Amino acid sequence: MNDRRAFLRGASVLMGSAALGQVLTAFAEAPRKASYFGDSEMRTLRTLVDLILPATDSPAASAADTHYFIDLAIPACASPKAQQTFRAGLKSLAGIQRRKPDAQVAALKARAAQDIELDYDSSFFKILKDYTMTGYFLSEIGATQALAYEKIPGGFKGDLPLQPNQKAWAI
Amino acid sequence: MATSNTFDAIVVGSGMSGGWAAKELCEKGLKTLVLERGRNVRHIEDYTTALKDPWELPHNNRPTNADRKQQPIQSTLYLYDQSTKQFLVDDTKYPYEQAQPFNWYRGYQVGGRSLLWARHVFRFSDLDFEANLKEGVGIDWPIRYADISPWYDHVEKFIGASGENPGLPQLPKQILQPPFEMTALEKHIKREFEKAFTDRRLICSSIAVLSREHNGRGPCQGRNQCARGCPYTAYFSSNGVTLPAAQKTGNLTLQADSIVHSLIYDEAKQRVTGVRVIDANTFASTEYFAKVVFLCASALNSTSILLNSRSARFPDGLGNDSGELGHNLMDHHNGGGATATYSGYLDRYYKGRRSTSMYIPRFRNVTTREEKFKRGYGYEVYSGRGNWTRGVGSADFGADFKNEITRPGQWNIFIEGYGETLPYHDNRIWLSHDKLDQWGIPRLNISMTYRDNERAMAQQMADDAAEMLTAAKLENVKSFNNPIVPGSVIHEMGTARMGRDPKTSVLNGNNQVHAVPNLFVTDGSFMVSSPTQNPSLTYMALTARAADFAVEKLKRGEL
Repeated sequence: MNDRRAFLRGASVLMGSAALGQVLTAFAEAPRKASYFGDSEMRTLRTLVDLILPATDSPAASAADTHYFIDLAIPACASPKAQQTFRAGLKSLAGIQRRKPDAQVAALKARAAQDIELDYDSSFFKILKDYTMTGYFLSEIGATQALAYEKIPGGFKGDLPLQPNQKAWAI
Repeated sequence: MATSNTFDAIVVGSGMSGGWAAKELCEKGLKTLVLERGRNVRHIEDYTTALKDPWELPHNNRPTNADRKQQPIQSTLYLYDQSTKQFLVDDTKYPYEQAQPFNWYRGYQVGGRSLLWARHVFRFSDLDFEANLKEGVGIDWPIRYADISPWYDHVEKFIGASGENPGLPQLPKQILQPPFEMTALEKHIKREFEKAFTDRRLICSSIAVLSREHNGRGPCQGRNQCARGCPYTAYFSSNGVTLPAAQKTGNLTLQADSIVHSLIYDEAKQRVTGVRVIDANTFASTEYFAKVVFLCASALNSTSILLNSRSARFPDGLGNDSGELGHNLMDHHNGGGATATYSGYLDRYYKGRRSTSMYIPRFRNVTTREEKFKRGYGYEVYSGRGNWTRGVGSADFGADFKNEITRPGQWNIFIEGYGETLPYHDNRIWLSHDKLDQWGIPRLNISMTYRDNERAMAQQMADDAAEMLTAAKLENVKSFNNPIVPGSVIHEMGTARMGRDPKTSVLNGNNQVHAVPNLFVTDGSFMVSSPTQNPSLTYMALTARAADFAVEKLKRGEL
């Protein structure tokens, strides 16, 4: 594994795919205009990222422009095969935004069940989830509202009581 | 830029060893030219990514396909991302030949890899210095712990290191600031080890990261973003610590973008008189002259320079009377280890990002003799509670998933052995004189493989790791034993080894080339064996010791 930063994913994931092992941080500036995906693909993507990370006690993925992050990161960072897989996946779920919430969840669940056994580059759901989570949780909204983030912690305290409702550290 | 071409001393390289050579020689009054092949990196000012939030980093922090194309080797490094890639070379510009697969991670800039290192600083002991002699492996080290001990003191006092002295003979006592604190799980493991073992301990690693202020530097701010360069100078680097000390004397001339092609040898004097330098950008050639030369270009590059310095007296490379130049290449291996989880201590957490590991010191072949392999290994230990990345690989999604994943998960632990590699004569480097880089310098070939001793050790590393985590009552214990590409631990050692006999070694016990008294080599190339411990502290100590020796000899007119 040889990855000093990988251990927080936990022992089971640690031994898994190298592609999943890469820690992604978020977009610098999210343009409101997509540059890679078309308008209808972006509508599908927006629905999908919010299905994965909806509004809870923190904003939904789309509120942090996670779908725009994916629009930038997929063409730049994903392998050619993963890019193809991703585009085909969006096409197969086109129109999901017009379905009822329960049907949306059911459709993505079915897709997840089917894709979870596939290798990373062939698995639309794995790629989608990877980019959604890394895009959102390392955005300013995700890191500071959904999680806890300290740019300069000021030192290290190794053993403190967990505070009520304490969020996990973003990094 | 140098205004004159003649100096008292020339130091080739500005990294871990070069920075120390510069400081010591300058402080002893020598006008010193430091030549760095890469660009200048000014302390703090040029740490352009140091204070970026994740969302501020260009195009996210994940390497792009274009990055991987430009840096196919460097981008496989564990710390490679958008915030660190500027301190690793462009592989397309600096090609090398891999007769056997070898990951050569390089930082060509002022400060070299002292900007990027993992900062562990343990001393070697006589268990290490005597091992070759006792086992009949390779050749004997020409020094013992007593020779280097005062220089370890000297270095530790200056660099400022923190950690824990375990009181074990294999890890001699160091001058250390208080250690960084253990997590709840680490405290648990420490307690369980005390109950289960007499020979195994969990301690905080000795690390060149300040837990307290030291000479106006630090302390560590808990960012764990060291490899971007530290704006608080809380970890030791040449840029932040030794080069400024050298600068302060007024004796330092630091010249970046200066690639040393070869050394100039004077047969009549039997001395080196200087170096031939090619400007990295203009390709102009210049010669610089000095009374003494220190090669500190990193193990493989210092040896390359010697191999490329051919003359009638030294047709096979400068100082290569023994035929050992380029041979006995070593790196550590870290393929064996284990992971586990723990379902307790859910009411404990931590604050800040600790930039060091915990450590399990070597226990194999210390007081007893193993049958399956020679030497030993220590473990780096990393623990923490699961963060959001634990959910990336699952099929779950939605509000419940998000609520779960944004709270601290269970405790995880990852331990990884760092094992000694024996010196094998045919693990080696050599030059292809028919394949030149754009500066006209022959390409380096590398051939290194791990052997039966390392393979047997790696299996034991994995088995011991699982045994220890099980004994500590952890859960889901899984051992691993992964194949390792040599070079991956980034501890290139050997290829210009020290020794007592000029017939079997390149350097003597003062890091002096046997047949060329005014030439010193003080980076990892001098290593005679590859003790378990991380080697940089020893490079620094022997560099300071060699500088002291060289200046004394110079004063007496004996160089």
